[in-house]
Amino acid sequence: MTQIIYKNIHLENSHTLAVYLANGGYTALEKALGMTDLEVIEEVKISNIRGRGGAGFPAGEKWGSMPKDQRSNRVVCNADEGEPGTCKDRVILTQDPHMLIEGMVICGYAARAHQGYIYIRGEFYREAERLQAAIDEAYAAGYLGDNVLGKGFCFHLAVHRGAGAYVCGERSALIESLEGKKGQPRLKPPRPGIVGLYGEPTVVNNVETLAAVPGIITHGGAWYFNLGVPNSSGTKLFSVSGHVNKPGNYEVELGVPLKVLLEEYAGGVRGGWDNLKGVIPGGSSVPILPKEVCETVTMDYDALKKAGTNLGSGAVIVLDRSVCIVRAMARLCHFYRHESCGRCSPCREGSSWVTQIVDRLENGQGRPGDVDLLMDLANEAGPLGLTICALGEGVVNPVRGAIKAFREEFEYHVTHGRCMVA
Amino acid sequence: MPTLTIDGKEVTVQAGTTIMRAARQAGVSIPHFCFHPLLSVAGNCRMCLVEVAETRRPVISCVQPVREGMVVKTDSEMVRKGCKTVIEYLLVNHPLDCPVCDQGGECDLQDFAMKYGLDHTRFREKKRQAQNYDLGPLTETEMNRCVHCTRCVRFCTEVAGVEEMGAVNRGYHTQVGPYIEKPLTSELSGNLAEVCPVGALNNKPFHFQARSWELKHAAGVCAHCAVGCQIRVDHLGNQVKRVMAGRCDAINQMWLCDKGRFAYDGLTQERLDAPLVRSESTGGLREVTWAVALDRAAELLKKFRAEEIAGLASDAAQGAEELFAFQDFMRRVVGSANLDHRLRQRDFSGDEQPLGRADLLMNTPLVDLARADVILLVGADPRYEAPLLNVRLRQATRAGAQSFAVHPRRMEANLVNLTQIVVHPGEEVAFLEGLLREVSAEGEASGLSPLATAWRAAKRPVLLLGEYAVNHPQAEIIRRLSVALLERVGALGPEWNGFNRVAGRSNAAAAQDMGVVPHRGPGYQSLDRRGHHAEHILRLAARGEIKVLLLLGCDPGLEAVDTRLGREALAKCRVIYIGAYQTPAALQADVVLPGLTSTERNATLTNAEGRAQQSALAVMGPLQAKEDWRIFRALSDRFAKQLPYNSREELLGRMAEADRRYAVTADGAVLPKACDHGPVTVDLPLTAPAGSKGAGLVLVLESPFYQDDAITRRSAILGKLTQGRSAGLGMVRIHPQEAVQLKLQAGQKVRLVCGERKLECTVGVDANVPMGVVYGHREHAPVLLQDMCDWGGGFPQVSLVGL
Repeated sequence: MTQIIYKNIHLENSHTLAVYLANGGYTALEKALGMTDLEVIEEVKISNIRGRGGAGFPAGEKWGSMPKDQRSNRVVCNADEGEPGTCKDRVILTQDPHMLIEGMVICGYAARAHQGYIYIRGEFYREAERLQAAIDEAYAAGYLGDNVLGKGFCFHLAVHRGAGAYVCGERSALIESLEGKKGQPRLKPPRPGIVGLYGEPTVVNNVETLAAVPGIITHGGAWYFNLGVPNSSGTKLFSVSGHVNKPGNYEVELGVPLKVLLEEYAGGVRGGWDNLKGVIPGGSSVPILPKEVCETVTMDYDALKKAGTNLGSGAVIVLDRSVCIVRAMARLCHFYRHESCGRCSPCREGSSWVTQIVDRLENGQGRPGDVDLLMDLANEAGPLGLTICALGEGVVNPVRGAIKAFREEFEYHVTHGRCMVA
Repeated sequence: MPTLTIDGKEVTVQAGTTIMRAARQAGVSIPHFCFHPLLSVAGNCRMCLVEVAETRRPVISCVQPVREGMVVKTDSEMVRKGCKTVIEYLLVNHPLDCPVCDQGGECDLQDFAMKYGLDHTRFREKKRQAQNYDLGPLTETEMNRCVHCTRCVRFCTEVAGVEEMGAVNRGYHTQVGPYIEKPLTSELSGNLAEVCPVGALNNKPFHFQARSWELKHAAGVCAHCAVGCQIRVDHLGNQVKRVMAGRCDAINQMWLCDKGRFAYDGLTQERLDAPLVRSESTGGLREVTWAVALDRAAELLKKFRAEEIAGLASDAAQGAEELFAFQDFMRRVVGSANLDHRLRQRDFSGDEQPLGRADLLMNTPLVDLARADVILLVGADPRYEAPLLNVRLRQATRAGAQSFAVHPRRMEANLVNLTQIVVHPGEEVAFLEGLLREVSAEGEASGLSPLATAWRAAKRPVLLLGEYAVNHPQAEIIRRLSVALLERVGALGPEWNGFNRVAGRSNAAAAQDMGVVPHRGPGYQSLDRRGHHAEHILRLAARGEIKVLLLLGCDPGLEAVDTRLGREALAKCRVIYIGAYQTPAALQADVVLPGLTSTERNATLTNAEGRAQQSALAVMGPLQAKEDWRIFRALSDRFAKQLPYNSREELLGRMAEADRRYAVTADGAVLPKACDHGPVTVDLPLTAPAGSKGAGLVLVLESPFYQDDAITRRSAILGKLTQGRSAGLGMVRIHPQEAVQLKLQAGQKVRLVCGERKLECTVGVDANVPMGVVYGHREHAPVLLQDMCDWGGGFPQVSLVGL
């Protein structure tokens, strides 16, 4: 069991600089500052680490595409961990904040940025406090500041607390919010790598991605590349929740079979494997996998894509047979309707329309044709790319997945006006 | 310059252009709601999607820049499917109330729903209820119809410069509206109803007045300020129902100010609808036939010697035709050179110089104002004197131009980072002289003021003289110093000329061109014989030396610098009044000859840039009223010499002979050139006559924005607007500190005293007015503050006594 990101979290006072240093902390930074920025990027490219926030874009490529001229590039860490089911970053922020800080300084060095920001979700109040304490320690010890480790590299870091909007986890909405504006996604093009925070080129990476960087630099990109399976290198943090006996965060190499993750790591499905109904494998916005698929699927980018879903943020939500899928979807729809920012028409109007239909089904007021209509709406709006950001797809994806897998349950709600499960 | 293909049409555009703009260039229309050519890109309606070859997903055309060789389809299967989806989503919460919606018939949502939408709805849930707002007398809201395109928000923020609209709440509950419910204050708020692609924001005075498809349209020119915006007059059954902005990229783009848009209801109020003659027996006015009235007028004019006759014309809403005929009649038929249109002007010393058109009008076309890098407003408040000119200045400042204003009070300006320099009335000349010295200093001068530093570095400076500067007691020396300032930085050349004088009302430029001044004829030709200017005419009339006043649409008792003098003159003289409205002067006249007003005749209106534009007839005037120039023509029949034109074409021919810029092209549709005049006169002496400096408070008057000519004063819609420069109507305003020192309370009755002149009115406090100055509005009856002004005596020094 390879632990890269969570290697220190079980230690007492793991959040302090002393403990971090005692366990090899900031050696990666020292090593990175001895390399050129292009060498650091090359190492990250070799590791083939893909963005852990959900989109899965190769981090090395993102860093490498930053302009090399004299513009003031920025680095932003997306700590707005808002995807329902996801709680992996929070552990890093509370138990090992220095690993994130180290990763950000290295990223800043590679991206030729001198200012970094950590956008932390508003609800993470204590986490923000602990993070700030760690940053203060790092400044005092010379890991941050005008002259990092005396190597002439200047990097400053600031924490900014969000105000509780899910959409601010979208990188351009996050940037808007960071600039003090209403949290709504920006139009792309231009992408943040060209016009980002305050109009400057900006790298936005997830906490987990940045926290993996010190390990990659210490052990080398090739070492990291060999972990996991092809095209899905390294380890991934999975937040397993729902009907398992040992819910929690698990750091596992990518490519682990879902069944192994649930049965061996997470203590098994409640009531035994046969009691499993389905698994949402990557946070609430991805389509659900029915039990038959869960038997064989492995947890990596390609396999899940092939199965019609997504690795997303790695939040594995387990549903056993006691769950009414219509009710579960109604709950999700409410969340997305509430969190739609309202900027673009399809998401603003569609999220509410879908929610109203699912609500009716759940309340026993379904009408014939409702399920087809839902499917039509999901098919028309989702894959068309009509919305500015992916939140619009987040509304319809789970519904489409659920109808595909459990259509008879939806139909039962229409014909019987009640649930077939309970 | 990438070349791309849109629906089979090849088009080459600037790099960085979006597909939407390229398509507009290629003449391909793409459906849209949030896109507006003059506003920033929002990209939120998602309607303007197109298919780009080799992409899987539809592309939002208002956001995506073009690439070389791009192949765009705007009507493919993918596009139709996407548009259908977007329309369906936009309609789910949109009420089906087209039959009672003012936008019906000219609604983008209606049109695109017909083109792309389903013929039924699949939405059978509860519709959202949005909140409506009271946005004042001009804008009606029906927010259920809102499609959240945010055009109104962007208009307010970007163009109007007043952040009055916004989108509050989130997601499904997003609500567009004012952050705090209160009437809109922007002078451009009427445009909101026009930018709204649906019926959410409506033109309130037009609410339920007509269906859009019943209306007939006439292409007019706005007659309420010197910008000369093009308008579309929508009329039905010989009634003007509403006024919309005309599309003219060179002048008003697609906007119109509220004064121009809503003055129309004043057109029909208090009209003179029959010829009147004062009865010898009763002393009252009685209706007579045209023949009798004309005979009576001719009789009056023949009774006195030519030099005992004078003519005064209004420079608002009068067409160039009647101004030309007026001066022609005065000079050729009556034989008098006593004529003027400058009732508001104090300083006539400029008449001594052979000034040309360039010295009196604008020299920077409106379009180029937006490219200025330094702007200096001298005695000008363009936001309320020429709102659409101000829009251009605001564009320049948004693009980074530095702006400065020299004015006797702080203005409610909306230029970005405007530096306001408050200069005490009468000290402007000294200020400009100082600035000129700073600008002229040799080499790298240090310790310069920010204005002088900016001015010295300016590449494209713009200097604007406005109402206050033009009507200043030292107006001519201020004008010359302004010219000198521009000359020092080489900004009077043919490539860039930054001298701009915006004088008077809508057709002041035509009055200059047509020679309605005592010292030169039409086309700026010099004359052997000079007459008296406005001030002298009224002084001589009040003394009984001038015996007949021929008034063309003006009222010296209301509009002159010194209204007391104006009224004395009217009382002493025989008056022939030609005009459209029952002004006090008309009701006091011996003969009243009813004329027409704007929208009732074809007329030429010349804006401050000097473009002589054609305004078309929209509705018929009162039955007996005649085109004003025809009145002069008919009157001349009673004299030895007749005016040599019997049709408008012949008249226009004469005007074009006098001034080539008035030559009308065959179809009349071509927009005349802006600033089509020679160089500005330079090297005039800069010695200033000593300004008067007294001890009291200085009374400064300005025009109320919404009530400043015969039409707007009669508009009930505009009468409801008492904001901006119409705030505090009917009172004088002083600084709060001044009020404390004088032991006056806001709202208290006071007596204004200046020598033997006395007036009672209400006092208000206004922190924008500096100490030592009293501000009030001119031309606002019943309390006429101009009664305090002695024409030749500079600014009146008044004292305020609480009552």
